[in-house]
Amino acid sequence: MRPFDYYKPKDFQEAIALLSQEGKKTFPVAGATDLIPMARDERWLPDIVVDIKALPGLRELKLIDEGLYVGAAMTMNEIAASPLVKSTWDVLAQGASSVGHNQVRNRATVGGNIATSSPAADTPPSLLVLEAIVVVRGPEGERRIPITEFFLGPRRNALKKGEIIVGLILPTPPEGAVGSYHRISRRHGADLAIVGVAVLAYPKAEGFGWRVALGAVAPTPIRVPQAEATLSAAPGKPDEAVISQAIQEAVAASRPIDDIRATAKYRREMIATLMRKAIEDVLEKL
Amino acid sequence: MSKKQQHTVDPVGKSVPRVDAFEKVTGEAKYVDDMFFGPDMYYGKLVLSPHAHAIIKKVDVSKALAYPGVKAVVTGEDTPYRIGLYMQDRYIFARDRVRYVGEPVAGVIAISEEIAEAAAKLVEVEYEVLEPLFDPYEAAQPGAPLIHPDMESYTWPPFIFPEPGTNVSEHFKLRRGNVSDEGVAQEVWDQCAAIVEQTFRLPPIQHVPIETHVAVALWELDGKVTLWSPSQSPFAQRDLIAQGMGISHGDLRVISPYVGGGFGGKAGVSIEANVVAMARAVKGHPVKVRMTREEEFTTTNVRQSLYAHTKIGCDAEGNLLAMETEYYFGGGGYNDYGVNIARAAGYSCTGPYRIPNVKGDSRSVYTNTPIGSAMRGFGMPEIHWGIEQIMDQLAEKIGMDPAEFRRKNAVRTGDTILTGMKMTPINLVACIDKAKELIGWDEEKKPSAPNKKRGVGIAIMWKAPAMPPNPGSSAIVRFNEDATVNVYVGGQEIGQGAFTVAAQMAAQALGVPFEWVRVSANPVDTKYSPYEWQTVASRITWSMGNAVKRAAEDARRQIIDIVAKYWDEDPEDLDIRDGVVISYKSEREQPLKKMVIYGLPNENYEGWQGGPIIGRGKFMPTYVTNLDPETGQGTRAVVHYTVGAQAVDLEVDTETGQIEIIKIASVYDVGKAINPDLIMTQIEGGAVHGMSSAFEGIFFDKDGRPINASLVDYKIATIQDIPKKVVGDYVETPLPDGPWGARGVGEHVMVQTAPAIANAIYNAIGIRVPDLPLSAEKIYTAIKEKEAKEKGE
Amino acid sequence: MLHEITLKINGEEYQVAVKSHHTLLTVLREQLGITSPKRGCENGECGACTVILDGKPVNSCMVLAVEADGSTIETTEGLAKDGNLHPLQEAFIEHNAVQCGFCTPGMLMSAKALLDFNPHPTEEDIKVALAGNLCRCTGYYRIIEAVKDAAVKMEAEK
Repeated sequence: MRPFDYYKPKDFQEAIALLSQEGKKTFPVAGATDLIPMARDERWLPDIVVDIKALPGLRELKLIDEGLYVGAAMTMNEIAASPLVKSTWDVLAQGASSVGHNQVRNRATVGGNIATSSPAADTPPSLLVLEAIVVVRGPEGERRIPITEFFLGPRRNALKKGEIIVGLILPTPPEGAVGSYHRISRRHGADLAIVGVAVLAYPKAEGFGWRVALGAVAPTPIRVPQAEATLSAAPGKPDEAVISQAIQEAVAASRPIDDIRATAKYRREMIATLMRKAIEDVLEKL
Repeated sequence: MSKKQQHTVDPVGKSVPRVDAFEKVTGEAKYVDDMFFGPDMYYGKLVLSPHAHAIIKKVDVSKALAYPGVKAVVTGEDTPYRIGLYMQDRYIFARDRVRYVGEPVAGVIAISEEIAEAAAKLVEVEYEVLEPLFDPYEAAQPGAPLIHPDMESYTWPPFIFPEPGTNVSEHFKLRRGNVSDEGVAQEVWDQCAAIVEQTFRLPPIQHVPIETHVAVALWELDGKVTLWSPSQSPFAQRDLIAQGMGISHGDLRVISPYVGGGFGGKAGVSIEANVVAMARAVKGHPVKVRMTREEEFTTTNVRQSLYAHTKIGCDAEGNLLAMETEYYFGGGGYNDYGVNIARAAGYSCTGPYRIPNVKGDSRSVYTNTPIGSAMRGFGMPEIHWGIEQIMDQLAEKIGMDPAEFRRKNAVRTGDTILTGMKMTPINLVACIDKAKELIGWDEEKKPSAPNKKRGVGIAIMWKAPAMPPNPGSSAIVRFNEDATVNVYVGGQEIGQGAFTVAAQMAAQALGVPFEWVRVSANPVDTKYSPYEWQTVASRITWSMGNAVKRAAEDARRQIIDIVAKYWDEDPEDLDIRDGVVISYKSEREQPLKKMVIYGLPNENYEGWQGGPIIGRGKFMPTYVTNLDPETGQGTRAVVHYTVGAQAVDLEVDTETGQIEIIKIASVYDVGKAINPDLIMTQIEGGAVHGMSSAFEGIFFDKDGRPINASLVDYKIATIQDIPKKVVGDYVETPLPDGPWGARGVGEHVMVQTAPAIANAIYNAIGIRVPDLPLSAEKIYTAIKEKEAKEKGE
Repeated sequence: MLHEITLKINGEEYQVAVKSHHTLLTVLREQLGITSPKRGCENGECGACTVILDGKPVNSCMVLAVEADGSTIETTEGLAKDGNLHPLQEAFIEHNAVQCGFCTPGMLMSAKALLDFNPHPTEEDIKVALAGNLCRCTGYYRIIEAVKDAAVKMEAEK
């Protein structure tokens, strides 16, 4: 690993100043579970690493007017075990508990999981169906990025140099909403997702509203609006024909690739399998 | 320790606790990377070839040498030595050409690992890239570009038959019955009611010991050399490096503490010779080189790939009549160890079956992939993958139960087997019967959900220790004043329980309680430990066990002789029980304490007799014969075979292709269970290792670069992936030259797991997958193809 | 860049100067001579380097040493107390849950963290807690049995 400098600022001003330095590769770090392997392989070559765990608000998890605020440095295990998260935003707890393995989940943070912007990450599909808002602070102050606009490509996102993810706002979902995250990987223990599917549904005036998001099957995690519309248009619980159509639409919206973990073809098939399971799971709970 | 004091008399056959467990649960157990070598130590980093096949035009180390903190850079120029266990085909550092991605080209030595790593990137190597060969079948064809054009100049032992001018580094021919070089006679095939012919492919896989390779070497100013390495074969390492580099065996000392997982990967020589060569460049300073996990995949060694084409036939009653088989092992860039795997696969090519007419050709072939070497099972898991699937298909064709088909054709004691050798005592039929019982073979098994299909499968195996004809073992037994005993062995504790079994055998043969025995073998140190060829081939319980038993018997005899004289009795009437010499005639007793060091006085103290007791024992098989190079026939191909049966019960998820293993039942004929619970731990660990191996594979891009050389994408079974249950049992058919009849069982426990799974998958969903790995995607795709076909019909 | 940090390891306080880019594993092993956490992959995949950091099991190869400043760390060296083995250590011996031993310290740390937090784990809890600890020898069955047994014994000792 190439040497780098490390700072742990206590306030945003200092942190942003450190991260904004021109001519230096600067990395904010919380759990370091992405930074360390990437720096070891020299795929990332940081000059300066800024530990953001001591910044105000990053280790908070609390109810706010808009819903739930999750500090960026909350770990996967903290989120997965949080009664607050499990009460109303359980689909995120499901995603968080699927990440890596226990030791990693004790370090990896939700901010890091989205900042790394791996298409196969396990929390983004849940965050997408929860319509999370990413709270960011940088040289130009604070801004809020809807999660749907956050991911730009594999390992690319809307963050600008010097910006730090402070936390996520999870709006309170409509009354009665239930969600389900399903994934498939080569091995049960500690493996990257081949496909991840998050589904959220809630009762509305006529029938149910549906949100569906997919991971690992496109350059970024994606929502599939057409499939959602099809499901949501059903007068009551969607029947087999509606579900099949929605699945077809979701598969059509995906753009999976071939890699060592699976071919694009298998990924498409597994979108169908997992989406059906997730929908059935949600229907049972509705 | 809060444990009650144990006192175990006659420990052979008892499940005494492991003698190495205490140190290992407290963190006291030291592995090589845990040892402290002081402030003079330097660190090394290997410069690795990025090309699968290339001519080295130029190596420029000047920039690396100029890097602050760098002490030396070693290249092929400095090491004009070829090494190799069987085939001496490998330069320590590549000289003229590189033959796989990850081959060491240079070694940088610096004051820190970070500096060595940074400077290694500055070594400039100019390559002329050549056409690489990856497929062993294609590489063996006439006209294929040569990976070792100067093969005829290499040296190899008389039982290896390379074919210079080709890429074939070993060609073992087996001809038995009504056959010719063209194959089994047509008249034999005409008698067959069922014939199955199929091609099978297995990718290379890796051992994945949790401890990666690491070595520390010190070349002292007076020319003495010490190497610290986690090794299954410290003596073989000493021999190969001493021979290869022209060091006297007496001046090269190999010290090997506990090995953090071997599975064959730490047998022979891997990076150790490189580290010794690097230490020579900085005399007086220890040099440490450790493999990263990624380098472990590319630069140490792997299990070879295999291309197998096999045809087997049987008559209407299910009697096997004929077999033709071609095995092409992808041996990698160097076949120094691998040639003997092809040989072993050749002389065992039928699997554990009676087949009167056999034509087998087994080859190891140079390919531009990582070095293929020993791995648990040594060729047997690879060949049983195909054989065991064909046996199932034959049984189905003639309408016989696959377990019954195996019972009918299973090799039996005294059979004249494919090489002409008489089968050593075993009871494979009993193993099959027990495995059937443990799995509930005849019970109906229902799937747990509508999308799942359930199936059972069985597979059987055999394996002989594959080694030169005369690998030796030796042991020393030494008493202390309080009659505790130190047992010195050179066999290695790689997790299998070798030290525990050695202690049990010594205690049993001496007549002292198990708790009195200390095994003095950590570290194995070639300067002090008695010679042991290698801890491989499941040979330690048998071969080292014999040496330990003989050493203990030697000590026992000395003690009895002294006491017999002291009592003026016939030694034949004396025995040692529970640490006391007793006379069955006079009923006198003499405790061993003190007398085993100080001896016993003559009457009225008119002088003394005896003295410190040291027993020595050795064992070397003396009866293995050469095999005819054209037919593979001879009197005694191997020392013995170990056999066993495994049955698998599983479910296939038809919506994903994923396989859930419900139960694996394993039964092996161990000759004599020295420590029954340690056998069960091998059975459990082996079943999981075998299962995991069915889902593993190293894959390469078109240029030969591994694309999954890390634990991120090379997945081994985690605790969440294991079968719901692994059960096991053993059969005890004593081996005439085994200690108390025992033979080893370390490798066998995983040999046929993959085909047993494949047979169960077929039973569940009617699909055969001829190529490993058994990925969920592959199974799923096959299910969909089958469904489409059935719809179309 | 060097940082003076304080670590409380197995009850003892250590002051040590660490480089920014060095992991906790490197500092424990190379600077402090605490070698029970093993180097298996340096990629957070094998679990051989697991230590308990402020009560939680982590891969010490995935923590920068400087991040651990002021933390409490437990390793296998500190498991036995007053000359007595921890019930997990005894259970690992009794159940033959050890073979080559290289994964054992990491396994013990993950298991201890589990039992400290959840004294009555189900088999599923044990599997979830140990999924990040690879073992190539045992097949894991004895490890599961040992953790279950230790839980029972620890309960009885209370």
